[in-house]
This record gives sequence, C-alpha cells and structure tokens, in this order.
Amino acid sequence: MSEKNMTERYNYHSFVWELVDPWMRFHESPPLGTEAPDFPLWHLDGGQTSLSELWAQKTYTVVEFGSYT
Amino acid sequence: MDEIARSFAGQGVGSIFLYTHEAHPGENYPHHTSFEQKLAHASAFKRNEGVERPILVDALDGACHRGYGSMPNMTWIFSRAGVPVYKSDWTDASSVQNALEYLTDVRQRRRTGLRLAPFRVERVDFRNQDEDGFYAGLARSGRKAVDEFRAAMEEAQTS
Repeated sequence: MSEKNMTERYNYHSFVWELVDPWMRFHESPPLGTEAPDFPLWHLDGGQTSLSELWAQKTYTVVEFGSYT
Repeated sequence: MDEIARSFAGQGVGSIFLYTHEAHPGENYPHHTSFEQKLAHASAFKRNEGVERPILVDALDGACHRGYGSMPNMTWIFSRAGVPVYKSDWTDASSVQNALEYLTDVRQRRRTGLRLAPFRVERVDFRNQDEDGFYAGLARSGRKAVDEFRAAMEEAQTS
C-alpha cells in the first residue's frame, strides 16, 4: 500500500464499519514483557521527540491514545 | 486520567496523551488531511478540555498508533527500558490506577529485599460507560459524527 493511500485510509472521513473495522487490531499489538517498538512523536509546538525519549525519562510512563472525537 | 497523573507524578510515573486520528470525524473536527491540521486539533483539545498531561502528536499516517493496535482509546504503560507492563484496549481510570498502585508497590517490596520475578497475567476489567458524556463528545465533533455513530450502532444490532 502506498504511503498516500495508507494516510488516507487511516484518516477515514466517516465512521462506517468498513472504514473503522480494519483499524481495530489490538490482538496484533506488541506483547507485554518484551521491548516495544519506537516511533517519532511531535510536541504541540511541532518539535520532534520519540516514544523512547519519553519512556526513558521515568520509571513508568502512562500513554493514553486518543483524539478530540 | 489527569488526576491519576498528578497523584503518581511524585513516584516516578510520567503520563502523556498521544493524539491519533479522529475516531468520529464531524463538521467541526473533520478527518485529518495535513499534519498542521492534526496539530491544531490536538491544541484545541488541550485548550478546550483543559487536559493537564502533555499532549504528543503521532505522525499523520498514524505509524505509532498503528504499531500498537490502533484502538481509539487504549492505554499502555511502559517501563524505563521500553518494555510494556500494562496494555488495555480501552482506557479506564480505575484500571490504570490499579495497575500503577501494583507497579509502584513492586518497587517498594523490592526495596525491602524481596526478589520478585516478572510473569504475565491477563484479566478482564470493566470500564464506566458514560453514554451522555460520549454523545456530548460526538456532538462537539458535529451532527455528522452523531448521525454516523447512531447509524453504525443500528447496523451492528441488525447484522
């Protein structure tokens, strides 16, 4: 799948099952107890960081995923 | 979740909110078509809802969100070494608080000299279903979000 196609599919325009269901993949998520994958993230001012930079700062880091809607 | 973040901040626990895609795009908060728009939605969320935790924003293609299962409102807890020690497919403050109390207690028990070995456990937790609050959130996104969710629920019940 092309990068553009992935971005458009991920940012679905309407809440209908055929567009939403493909993203419900918790059963395929990384396992507990083994090192997790790292990804780049951005602060609200546009500055870049990463998940690993965040989790390295504290004994434990709670990450809630979500959005306004 | 902000209250939990505050209460555990002094025990070496950091907390962030990671902004993903719009689960229920509507007229006011439509699906993202640019990273600048995604940053603007995340900033509006922090400003309008008074979110105290730092908000971090995922890439426009949701690389991080997709890498962790892409559920709309899940919570993960990572150790300093980058090892996930808790994951839930939905967020429930009581469940997260319970996990943090357990994890911080492990640190205390180790300080007493106990040798504790990790093991994996699965369980089913129970989240609060605040239907009024949920629909208020949909309305914030716009009429489209409300109508689409109602239609999707009807479709699920008849299929």
